[in-house]
This record gives sequence, structure tokens and C-alpha cells, in this order.
Amino acid sequence: MIDRHLFQLTGANSIVRKLAVLEVLQAFLIIGQALSLSWLLTKLWQGHTMDWLILLAFVACFSLRQLADWIRGGWLENYSSQVSEELRTTLLMKVFNEGQAMVQRQGTGSLITMALDGIDEVRNYIKLIYSKVLTMMAVPVIIFVAMLFLNWQSAVILLAMYPLIVLFMIVLGYAAQSKADKQFGNFQHLSNNFIDSLRGIDTLKYFGLSKRYSRSIFTLSENFRKKTMNVLKIAMLSTFALDFFTTLSIAVVAVYLGFALLRGEMQLFPALGILILAPEYFLPIRNFAGDYHATLDGKNAFKRINQLIDAPKEISEELALTDWNNDAELKIKDLNYQYPEGAQIGPINLDLKGNLKVGIIGMSGSGKSSLINLLSGFLTPSEGEITIEGQAAKTMNIPDWHKQMVYIPQNPYVFTASLRENIAFYTPEATDEEIKSAIHIMGLDDLVAELPEGLDTIIGQGQRVLSGGQAQRIALARALLDHSRQVMIFDEPTAHLDIETEIDLKERMLPLMQNKLVLFATHRMHWVKEMDYILVMNHGKLVEQGTYDELAAKKGYFSQLMQEMRGEIKDEETTDL
Amino acid sequence: MKKLPIFKALEHDRWVKPFLRQYKKSLIIAIFLGIMTYVAGAGLMFTSGYLISKAATKPENILLIYVPIVLTRAFGIARPTFRYLERLVSHNWVLKMTSKLRQRLYDSLEQDAVFFNSKYQLGDILGLLSDDVSHIQNLYLRSIFPMLVSWGLYTIIVVGLGVLSPIMGLWMLLVFGLIIFAIPIWSVLVNGARQVYRKQLQDQLYVDLTDNVMGVADWVLSGRSNEYLKLHVASQNKLLDVHLQMAKFERMRDFCLQILYLLGIVSLIVWGAATFGGHPSQMTNWIAAFTLAAFPVVDALAQLPGAAQETNVYQDSLVRLNDLPVPTKEEAKKVAIEAPYDLTLTNVHYTYPNTSREILRGLNLQIHAGEKLAILGKSGSGKSTLATLIRGDRKPNSGSIELNGVATSEFGDQITNYIGVINQTPYLFNTSIANNLRLGNEEATDEQLWDVLERVGLANMVKKLPNQLETMVQEAGLRFSGGERHRLALARILLKDAPIILLDEPTVGLDPITEQAVINTIMTQLKDKTLIWITHHLQGIDLMDQVIFIEDGELNMQGSPAELWKNEERYRQLKKADQGL
Repeated sequence: MIDRHLFQLTGANSIVRKLAVLEVLQAFLIIGQALSLSWLLTKLWQGHTMDWLILLAFVACFSLRQLADWIRGGWLENYSSQVSEELRTTLLMKVFNEGQAMVQRQGTGSLITMALDGIDEVRNYIKLIYSKVLTMMAVPVIIFVAMLFLNWQSAVILLAMYPLIVLFMIVLGYAAQSKADKQFGNFQHLSNNFIDSLRGIDTLKYFGLSKRYSRSIFTLSENFRKKTMNVLKIAMLSTFALDFFTTLSIAVVAVYLGFALLRGEMQLFPALGILILAPEYFLPIRNFAGDYHATLDGKNAFKRINQLIDAPKEISEELALTDWNNDAELKIKDLNYQYPEGAQIGPINLDLKGNLKVGIIGMSGSGKSSLINLLSGFLTPSEGEITIEGQAAKTMNIPDWHKQMVYIPQNPYVFTASLRENIAFYTPEATDEEIKSAIHIMGLDDLVAELPEGLDTIIGQGQRVLSGGQAQRIALARALLDHSRQVMIFDEPTAHLDIETEIDLKERMLPLMQNKLVLFATHRMHWVKEMDYILVMNHGKLVEQGTYDELAAKKGYFSQLMQEMRGEIKDEETTDL
Repeated sequence: MKKLPIFKALEHDRWVKPFLRQYKKSLIIAIFLGIMTYVAGAGLMFTSGYLISKAATKPENILLIYVPIVLTRAFGIARPTFRYLERLVSHNWVLKMTSKLRQRLYDSLEQDAVFFNSKYQLGDILGLLSDDVSHIQNLYLRSIFPMLVSWGLYTIIVVGLGVLSPIMGLWMLLVFGLIIFAIPIWSVLVNGARQVYRKQLQDQLYVDLTDNVMGVADWVLSGRSNEYLKLHVASQNKLLDVHLQMAKFERMRDFCLQILYLLGIVSLIVWGAATFGGHPSQMTNWIAAFTLAAFPVVDALAQLPGAAQETNVYQDSLVRLNDLPVPTKEEAKKVAIEAPYDLTLTNVHYTYPNTSREILRGLNLQIHAGEKLAILGKSGSGKSTLATLIRGDRKPNSGSIELNGVATSEFGDQITNYIGVINQTPYLFNTSIANNLRLGNEEATDEQLWDVLERVGLANMVKKLPNQLETMVQEAGLRFSGGERHRLALARILLKDAPIILLDEPTVGLDPITEQAVINTIMTQLKDKTLIWITHHLQGIDLMDQVIFIEDGELNMQGSPAELWKNEERYRQLKKADQGL
């Protein structure tokens, strides 16, 4: 239940010490409350008139106990907030400094859930775990000692219940777990099924099945209910066991006390004291069980977040690079990359010098994007030698390389921000004139005219979704504004656009690409001719390289690929190329 | 009451209130069991208190304490049993509701299914709506049930004590009234707004962080990561402030509740002492009984303020669900037409509701049986709108779209017998391959399934799968590539065997070789059918009989590929570019 990372949190020792003092104090207040009440009730039972002083003592103990709760809550809230915010900042620092590599490995969704919901679960965990564990350790023990003084036989009966409760909870917990595990497949399937049906609702409509399917939704959901109930019946048994033993033991003790009193072996005062203390004796374990799932979720989240934070950093090279120019040179020898799932990229051997437009072509799955990612430093090669400007490097993950690089993927990301902020993303200091001119050059005038607040209109996800062509134009306008970046990397920028937009964009892109090092992955044929140098990928290997004319003259894989792409060879004989 | 947001949201509600009436019996049983749980808990302490007080008087006859002994044991067993049953019954009830709610949600969405994606463009609205249904579950379990149970207990306490002493009854009406009504309402008024604000901040943070993690490459490359982090930490702190304020209030509120409860207990002691005590008698045995019985009841009441406050969070869900259209039950008239099927579009105009731009401006088009037509145009030119108009999902503002003289919008679901659709991202349901195929024809035999798989070139691939046709499409290790998904969608269409097939950019995102292969299969397998193919570039265009270009809602170029190549300079340019010549 307790994670060793908990002890490494700042201030953990001091909060534990403070809490421990409070728990002990609270245990004494609980005993005070019980004894004063028993005393008061005993006197009333004897026929005395109301003893206001004892009543006052009871009220004081009760109130102070609640006050202690209030104070403890405040301490825990502040402490857990402080610790979890620190954890969140550390996590996000890691994400935003390591960038894409980490996001790709973890998935955007899971990282965000971790940084927001995960951290909230951790806060809850920290809030619960210290106090619950300390309460469990302090309160029942002190109450037990007090009960020993009142009537040791009852104290022993109640003590005997404790291991029994724990035992049954564990046994039933396991039973429920195995039952739940067995049904988990179905369970998951059914809960996904509803959202699956909603997502495919248009397909159902296209086949004229959507109206009838409504009934199936109900039946499936009812099946789900029956299965869930079967799991719940067992899962809830552990709560039942806990409840059963605690209440039953109170009943047993009450009856035992009744007989002891009847025989005159004890007085009413200690009997009442035991009876009032008994529920308090079990309260900590009941609370602990009640919060068990929240604690478990938080513990798991805490573990995952610590794993993420402790994960080794992607290697990077601190080389001093000048801006790419006509004399600059990038040499790559026997570069390999091994995907964890098995696919292999390489060996890649390359020698690029000066300002060039380099096309990377191949079928989908041939390794174009992987090569782009290796060259941009988003992937770390498994082996190989890189020499850039005469300096050796293990990876292209070089801050100085990133500083001069523009990277434009198939779907450039448009932030939910104003059009101005989006375009000036790389150059926040750009003037309106410059921004407007970039907009004009990239053919975004129509978009600006459509936007109600012009440059200040918020665009992006959830606001105003842009078409693929518009997003591409924004990315290009960003690049245009940042003159200093000499390396442009494109990953299939126009394949998904309609042909007219594509041609229009191409005309605007070509001037931008002049006098720079351009790396351009594509399967659109018209781009290939614009390239000064072409790399042909097939099954992860760099199979041919050279200028367009050289490759065309060779009549090798390149020529075959071009022919096929034009649809000049019928599919049957080519599908396994 | 009207000031509490949850009541406002419930005023014209069609999603929570009507369902409370359904399965009324189980609901009443659940609440009864909930009340009995606390009654048994209080009963246990009451009888034990009485038992030991009575025993302490050392009665001569043991039979005098026999009844309290039996009752103590009975209550001791009854409490956990009631609680267990109550949880089962209430969960069962809520899950039954969920089935109904899901069906209702499905029915509401079914009507607009076809333009779902264009209508609800923002975010994952489907996920959101499906979550809303689970939120309503929680509203029942965590807020409505505990409230009903506590009201029941309140009635029992007030009436029970009122019978013994009307003044005490009235006093308890006040004290417990404060606990059950005043504190929860106070809590909603103070913290409700904060809770809503907190949820807004949380949602905003979620959106912001998603946005920026998706754009993380740009943050890193621009060297501005720390700038963003600072912004994020600032909004996170704002959220934290609200959270801490709420927590602070809750701690204070819980303390007040406990103190009020203490007032209740003290009143009971004082009342007990005045009623039963003052001189030694058998009556004093009751004092401890009443006092001890009061303690377990606090568990039922302490959760109320939190439950009431939480209802504010469900508001959004309720509003969203209540905004959905009410399902209508309209049956389209039976349409009887016979082959050959010709489509005629006459002067079609279309403007989306609540917008001003006319998407289609007087389109005329004849599509004869067996003809292959390609529709091209820039994004936003109205290609996809035209597809929904042809299928009859939308009605033109003026002009007509007729299939053999009957407007396509008159067909209702019968249109599926005449027009089949393959769209951009064919949806595969998370079930077996066979079930996915049988959407096309539920009666299809396994032979028929293999036959269509053979025709679309997937038979070999499926044969290699461990469970062949029964393989689940999302099973681990098996991922259909873009091309394969389209082939499966085609196989479904082949099973459905409608005479006209509408292809809405079916190959976008495929590389040219895969794309060409898919197009070739489509063309061979659908050669006898009418094809309407919406596309964004010219790959495979030569296989078509007629090509039209739509620009600004009008026909811009029209003719066979050969004619266009001969007569239209623009077409030649585009064609050359597409082929990289």
C-alpha cells in the first residue's frame, strides 16, 4: 500500500510527525467522549438529575475531536496540493523539453490524462494515505488499551474480530478479483460496444439497419447489466463481510455485557463505555476499506508518473553548428533504426552537401517518415555514424540543428489561438505588416476575409476548424516569417489535398525552398521532378539515390515505382512489390 | 428552490424525471432497504443500550432481557444484510435505467446519423454524450438515492419522537431540518458556483493541454517551451485556488454539521433525562437506548451536503442531453420503382440552415443507369453536400433530385435498396469480420461471404487469420491497413447489391499504388452498376464515363475524360501535374 516514493516527497517527514501527534490526541478525545457520555448516562440511569458539568465535558470532547478533523483536513489539503503541483510541473517540464519523442512513445491522450487526472488522483492518494495509515496505527490501539481497563474480556472479543475481518476481506477480495478478471473481456467489450455503435451509426444508416438496431442497443445493454450484477454480487461481498463482522461483534459484546451485568460481575459505567467505544474501534478500518479503490487508483497513477519522470532522457548532442550554408555537409554512414515492434530501417548511407532539395520517395510503409524522423532528430538511431559540419554525432537530436529547422508534417498543428499568434508562432515579435504579407504570399487572404475578427479570430480545434490546405498554408507562413531557419523538412505535405489546392500550394512553396537544405518525403509524382536529389526507400532500405535523370536512366526500382504510381501497371501483378 | 441550478436544469427535463417512474417497484424497494439499513444500525445501538441498562438492574427473571437480546442479534445481522441488498437493488435499478437511457440516446442520434460528423464537428461529442449517460447514473446513485433515504429517515425520526413528545418532535423537525435541508442548500449556494467554475477551468485546461501537447514539436523547435509551461502553471494555480477555497468551505461546513448533530444528541439526552429520569425507576433504562441510537444515523446525513453540491456538475450533461432532438416516428411511404434506375438533378439549389452562403447554385445533371460519373472540386465546393442530397438525407431548397421520377428524400430508409455508400473512412464495428460483412445482407451464407472477400481480394488474407471469418476486427496483432478497410467496405456493398453506388472520396490518404489498386478493384467489381465517385484528384479518372468539376456551386467543366483532355486546357494541366509528367 505504501510506495517508497512517498518518503522522498518534500516535507513528508514533517507532515507525518504533525499528523501522528494529532492522531494520538484524537484517540484520547474519542475515549474522553465515550467515557464522559457513559458516566453521564450511568448517573441518569441511577436516577440522579442531569449533571451539566459532565455533559459539558462530553460536548467539549466531541467538538474538539471534530475540530481536530478540521485542522487535519486543512494540513493534508495544503500538503497534498503542494506536492502534487510540484510533481505536475516536473512531468510537464519533461514532456515539453523532450518533445515529440516522448509524446509519440506515450501517446498524447495518455500523457494528458496522466498530467491532469493522474495528478489529481495522486493528490487524493497523498491526502488519504498518510492519515488513513496513521489512524489505523494509532486509534484502534489506544482504544483497545482503554477498553482493557474497562473490561478486558470484551476488549479481547473485539480484538479477535480484527484478524477475522481482514482475512475475510482478503479472501473475498480475491474471489471478486478473479471473477471480475474472468468477465473482464466481455465487460470491456460491452462497455465499448455502445460507443462503437454510436460511432458507426452512419454506416448503419447507409445499410438501412439503424432503426432496427435500437432494440439491439437495449438488449446488449441489458446483457451488460446482468454480467455486471454478477460481478457486483461478489465484489460487494467484501464490504458485506466487513459490515457483518463489525456490527455482529458489537451485538455479541452487548449480549456478553448484558449477561455480565446480570450476574453482577460488572458495573453499568464500563459496560456503556465499551459499547460506545466499539464502533469507534472499527471506524478506521471501515474508512480505510471505503477509500480503498481511490487509494489504489492514486497509488497506480503515482507509480506511473514516477516512471515517466524517471525514464531516461533521449540522448542529445550539444554540438555548436553554424547555420546551414552552401559549404555545409551532412554525412551518414550505416545508420540503422530498430523499432521495438521489429521493423528495421536502414542501413542508410548518405552524403548531402550545400543547399539542395532532397526528395524521399517510396510506397507507404517503406520508411520515408522514419527516415525523416531520424534526420530531424525525433528518433534516435540504434547505430551508425553521423558527421555534420565535420563533427561526429550519435543522433540528429542537436539543439543547434533544431534551431535552424522548419518541420512541416502532413497535418501541421494549428493551435487554438488567434490567427496572428498561429502565424507568428516562431517569430512572436513579427509586425502586423510582416504577418499580413506572409498571409498574402501563402494565399490566406480569403480565410482572413471570412474571419469575423480578422487576424485576432481564434482558430483551431474546437473553434473554427480549418481545411487541410489552410493548415498547410499557415505552417508555410510560419516558415516564411522565420528567415533564419535554413533547413526545411516536409513529411508528405500535400498528398491529402485536392489537386487544385495542391498545385496552387506548390507554386507558393517552391520559392520558399530556394537556397535552403530541403528534405521532402512524398509519394506525389509532380514533386519528384522539382528535387535536386532523390532518395528511394523500399522496405526500410535506401535502395537508390541520385538525381532524377540519373535514376530515370537507370531504369531500376525508381522507374518501376513511377510507372506504377501513374497506374500504368495493372494492380494484380504489383500488389506485393 | 429555483435558484439551485439542478432544479432549473430539471424543469423541462426528459432524461431524469421520466425514468424515476419506470421500474417504480425496484426503486421503492431500493429506498426502503436504504432506510432500513440505518434503522437497523440505530436499532442495534438502541436495543444494546436498553439491554445493558436493563441487565444492570439485575432483573430476577432472565426472560425479561430475552427480547432485547434477540433484537440486538437480529439488528446486528440485519444491518449489513440490508446494506448489501440495498446496494445490489439500487445498482441493478440504475443499470436498467442506463439501458433505457442508452437506447434513448441512440434513437435521438439516429435521425441525423448521416450528417453527424458535419453537424457535431467539435471534439468527441459521441464520447461526451456517452459519458453524460454515466453521469446520470451517478446522479441517481450518489445524489438522488441518498437524499430520498435521508428524507425517509427524517420522517421516521420526527414522527417517532413526535408521538412520544410533540415538542421534541418539533425540535427535531428543526434541528434535523437544518442538517438535511439548510446545510446542503447553503453548500450548493456557496460552493455550487465554485464547483461549476472549477469544472470550466478543468475542461479548459484539458483542452489547452491537449492542444499544446499535440503541437509539442512546434514548441520545442521554436525554443519557447518554457513560455508555455509558465502559462500552464499559472492556469493550474488558478484551478488550485478554487479547489482550495472549496475544500476550506467544505471543512468548515462539515464541522458545522457535526456541531448541529451534537446539538441533536444533547437534546436527546436532556429530553431523555427530563422524560424518563430524575428518580430511580425502570424508565431510566430508556435514556441510554435513545442516546446511543442517535450515533449511527449521522452516517446517512454527513454525505448529503456533498451530494447536493455535486448535482451542479451534472447540469451540463442534462442540458446537453435535453438539447438533443426528440426522436420522431415517421414511416416513409412505400416506394415502388423498377430498373433501369436514372437519377435526374434539376436546377438544384442548396444553402445550409442558418447560413447565408449558397453551396449549390442551380445544378443540372443526368446520371443514367450503369454510368460512371466522377465529381471533382476543391474542398468546400459542395461535393459532399451533393452526395447527401442525392441520397435524400437533405432536401434541396429549390429544384429537384429524382430517382425514376420520385424525389430521393421521399424514400426514407428504403433508399438503401437503391443507393449504397462507401465513404472516406469506412467504419468497422468492433465485432467479427463476418458480422461486419453481414451488415450488407444479414442472411448471407458463409459461402457468399467468402465469395465477396474473393472478389475484393481479401480472401487470402482472411484465410490466414486464426479464426478466419470469426476473427474480431480489432483483435491484437490484426490491424487493417487503409486499403484493406476500403476493400472490406466494398465487400459489404457487394453483399447489399444496390444498383447505384456513391463513393465519397473513398481513397483519400492512400498512397498512389494502393489507391490505384483499390480503384481497379472497385471498377471491375462494380462494372454493372451506376457509380458516383467524389474524388479529390485524378488518379484513375480515365476509367470513368463522365467527369464534372464543381466550382462555387456550379458545374465548371463537364465531359468524358477524353473530351476534357482534348478541349480543356485547365484539365490538361491538372492531369499532367497529377501524373508528374
